[in-house]
Amino acid sequence: MKQPIDDGISPFDDASHEREWLIQERAMRRERLHLDAAGDDARTRRYRLLARALRQPPPDGLPADFAQRVAARVTAAPATFRFESLLMTSLAIALGVAALVVIGIYGSQWLPSFSAMLPAPRGPAGSWLLAFAGCVGASWLLGQWQRHGRR
Amino acid sequence: MDDVRNPDRELVDAVLAGRPGAFERLIREYQGLCWHIVQRMVRNPEDARELCQDTFLRVHQCLHQYRYESALKSWIGRVAYTIALRHLQHKRIPLVEPGDDHDGYALIENVSDGFDLEGACADEETARHLHAAIESLPPLQRTVLTLYYLEETSIPDIARITGLASGTIKSHLFRSRLRLRGVLEARTGVAA
Repeated sequence: MKQPIDDGISPFDDASHEREWLIQERAMRRERLHLDAAGDDARTRRYRLLARALRQPPPDGLPADFAQRVAARVTAAPATFRFESLLMTSLAIALGVAALVVIGIYGSQWLPSFSAMLPAPRGPAGSWLLAFAGCVGASWLLGQWQRHGRR
Repeated sequence: MDDVRNPDRELVDAVLAGRPGAFERLIREYQGLCWHIVQRMVRNPEDARELCQDTFLRVHQCLHQYRYESALKSWIGRVAYTIALRHLQHKRIPLVEPGDDHDGYALIENVSDGFDLEGACADEETARHLHAAIESLPPLQRTVLTLYYLEETSIPDIARITGLASGTIKSHLFRSRLRLRGVLEARTGVAA
């Protein structure tokens, strides 16, 4: 990304710091353009030496097949994901069936006490609950629609 | 970033559509940037390789959240930086040195001359000394210098990657360079 060197960042409050900063920037620019160092003063030359050192890439880079390996790992993931979601769906269905069986056998004993605790659907609390559920549902649907639209 | 057919958008669309080879292309494009950030932050090559892998797995997982508000380079750089930062926090390694605010400020008024640039470049001992001084900088300063010099990333983009203010980045660059100049002057002499 070849960017302009000075991006309009505020100058330092201290004028001597700003002067030094401009020397540092000038040295970096001159080194980047491989300009002759003959006309540079000692300070600029030192900053140019620094620029040369900093432009050297760090040792021990990533292995040559790094991109291939990571991409392969990502494409292999959906198969595992499919198996996991299948397993989760089966377990959820089994849990649901078990819950229905339990309700069928023992429900008559404890369901009436639970229904007494719930707010009446026609009461004020029930309307607010329904409005809240409606908002959550609408936000979720909007999110799904936006995501689908992006793809 | 509203350019409909910019290369970032084409690449991101291809990855999100699951086109063969697209994600590998994205990794190839940005693995250098990722390595430069992570390696400069954590230094240990083994950890750095693992964190680079984590970075691209995270990129793949979260790419649908990329909104083109910054260049893809900055967005991926931010992911790499955040992952490396968490690693440092986990290892309790400080990101910056406390109390180095006025490091080397006396050098500013120091007027030196007679420095042989090519001679110093050819001097392996000086080069080794300088690289050791760069390595001894705190992780944040090492990373900011690498992004600025090696990746030629602008200060606002470094600010986006690190989540710091542009003024803070400028200050880090200024102080690190001043400190390294001090190291050079100590090695080669002020009026060599």
